[in-house]
Amino acid sequence: MRSRRVSVALAAIAIAGFGYGSAIAQSKSVTSERLLNASKEPQNWLLHHKSYDAHRYSSLDQITPENVKNLKLAWTMAIGGIQGGGLWTHGGLEATPLVEDGFMYLADGWGSVYKIDTHGGKGRLVWKMDPKTDRDWAGAVTCCGVDNRGVALWHDAVISSVIDGRLIATNKMTGEVIWTAQLADPDKAETVTGAPLIVKDMAITGVAGGEFGIRGWLAATDLKTGKELWRTYTIPAKGEPGSDTWKDSYNAAATGGGATWVTGSYDPATNTIFWGTGNPGPDWDHEYRPGDNLYSDSTLALDADTGKLKWYFQTTPNDAFDYDGVAERVLVDLPSTNSKMMLEADRNGFAYALDRDNGHFLWATPFVDKISWTKGIDPKTGKPVEYDPKKDIQLYLGVQNRANPVSKVCPGNMGGKNWPPTAYNPTLKLWYIPVIESCNQLTVTPAIPGKSYKPREFFTGGGPKQPDRITGSIAAIDVTTGKLVEKSRTPYPMLGGLLATPGLVFAGHPDGKIAAYDAHTLKELWSFESGSGVNAPPITFSVDGKQYIAIAVGLGGAWPKWFIDSTPELKNIEPSSMLYVFSL
Amino acid sequence: MTYTGALAALVLSIVGLSVVSARSIAGDATPPSAHQLRMGKNVFKAACAGCHKWHGGGGGGYGGAALSLRKTELSRDQIIETVRCGRPGTGMPSHDREAYKDKSCYGMTKEEAGNNLPPVANSYLSASEIQDVADYVIANVKGKGDPTLEECLDFWGSTSQVCNEFKKTSSEEKRSQVHIQLEVTR
Repeated sequence: MRSRRVSVALAAIAIAGFGYGSAIAQSKSVTSERLLNASKEPQNWLLHHKSYDAHRYSSLDQITPENVKNLKLAWTMAIGGIQGGGLWTHGGLEATPLVEDGFMYLADGWGSVYKIDTHGGKGRLVWKMDPKTDRDWAGAVTCCGVDNRGVALWHDAVISSVIDGRLIATNKMTGEVIWTAQLADPDKAETVTGAPLIVKDMAITGVAGGEFGIRGWLAATDLKTGKELWRTYTIPAKGEPGSDTWKDSYNAAATGGGATWVTGSYDPATNTIFWGTGNPGPDWDHEYRPGDNLYSDSTLALDADTGKLKWYFQTTPNDAFDYDGVAERVLVDLPSTNSKMMLEADRNGFAYALDRDNGHFLWATPFVDKISWTKGIDPKTGKPVEYDPKKDIQLYLGVQNRANPVSKVCPGNMGGKNWPPTAYNPTLKLWYIPVIESCNQLTVTPAIPGKSYKPREFFTGGGPKQPDRITGSIAAIDVTTGKLVEKSRTPYPMLGGLLATPGLVFAGHPDGKIAAYDAHTLKELWSFESGSGVNAPPITFSVDGKQYIAIAVGLGGAWPKWFIDSTPELKNIEPSSMLYVFSL
Repeated sequence: MTYTGALAALVLSIVGLSVVSARSIAGDATPPSAHQLRMGKNVFKAACAGCHKWHGGGGGGYGGAALSLRKTELSRDQIIETVRCGRPGTGMPSHDREAYKDKSCYGMTKEEAGNNLPPVANSYLSASEIQDVADYVIANVKGKGDPTLEECLDFWGSTSQVCNEFKKTSSEEKRSQVHIQLEVTR
């Protein structure tokens, strides 16, 4: 079938290619052992979230709160991918760059991969792999921009996704494509925007399309052959566990959403993958899909070898607000209390902590200023206090349903906290959240069984409008108590994600500011105006013994097209596509 | 704004309006050229298709609930006014830089529109772009039935796979529903 179509004609060349690569090796092979110990290579950034526990924390400490005021631009590089396609007038950059032994690997929104030599205090393009994306095919069925959040490294290959559903292995030395597999099917509005997660010799890939009536999945690809090892659907088929949480008579589950578009994390101690799932479909008409709608808006804990579900935890049952639970899962150990936690900052405005070995709820903390859809989270169950398991339709505070089709809801449908990643400082035990402080107006349009769903069309049961200004903040939660301990307000929503170092937090802003904050107080200590918009996370690396900060600049994503009315000054931001690198 | 600036804006607005009305009267008698329709399609793709969809059928989505332009009963002049001025009280934005600076939008100024003032589009359109897109909607969208393969290829071109869905037979079209239902987790 189309979605399983795999092209491995070049499998033999793969082996030959790797041999050739290692003969002229400029860097060591990225083995499973190195990925498991990624934190022990502070000079590098080997995994999408820096380490399998998704801390996005680097122990590099040449740049400190005392000297960060001297941070200055070291070099820049123009990146491609700015062309439009489908619904989109331009592409943007959302990728986290990877760095291995002085070589950087970056993806643009249309999936071109760039290898950049960062030695000698400057950037030099080594090669570019252009996958020749069918831009209209994919671009007409992406809700939220021309997006690619980054690549992965495995042995002597770069593993990358393309928005049109392909997974590509590229020879790290030469830039030649080794194999291509078609994982997602844009004919069904399936696209891929997240970075692959490498676990052992597998790439784990998630899918986007929750606004287009897809049925979400996670797929594991054997990197030695390009063949699929397992595929787990996030919405159960009829008769499978969880299928009784879709109580309609017209198979709403078939278009039930549950996308998986943000890269998850991995706990090698239990061989468990933690991955979040998105909103049920249609987004706003929850009366179309009575029941809890498992496993939408959930944490899935999956056996890495089989993809089988170990446990799940759902944040917003029968969601009527587009509150995707896709955010990265942050794994934190607290030896003092013998606690093995999994943290998630949800689009619904609450930060959750679970016991990651069994999914038991520990605590939830509101991290946004305004929450209007619920009075809070039950401290025993972890469910919203209004949740009634006996009811098919969850009304919560009654702000949003067919009887009350136009309403204001806080957080708005972007959250809360969207895909831009959090960062965690393991010494300070502080977890930093990039926040969107928002409300928006939602209109429910009832979906009609057999009529409203059309392939490759938005299937949302309504839509949002932006009558109010939206701002942002950086929130800090003390994970030992679950309390919000600091909040630094920002004039614009946080659309780019965070980086933590021993004394600092770094962030990019949609108005172009790139800034460093004190790790304790979140007071701004340094900033630079990039002159364009940022919606990508910063990283840090070291080469030739010197620490650098790198960040992609180029505002794309959902904001400029759908949410700009809430931040009118950002209409003045021109599209761009640049890499900025800073040093002392 | 300075007095000179305000005067300049007013003059520009009047000039813009007179161009629109002259063309709109002539437009009824003179069919738009192929070039104008191509320009109109480009404007439609960049400014309208996000919410109204490539086929103009509208529907829900992140752009809100856009009306169907296939079923619209608006005249060319009314379409021009709607594109220039947006629709008060809805998410349909204004695309004319001068909208609501005088009373040429539904007889209302910005102040009079108050809370019903429509949002402003990300990019303004020129008077000729607005006419071209209105001509495109009249010629290619208004009054059409369900979208067809021919329309899809005409809009996107034939080099993309974007129109695959229209190439399938009717039994295959039902595939996505049935197929998904029968798939078993592996």
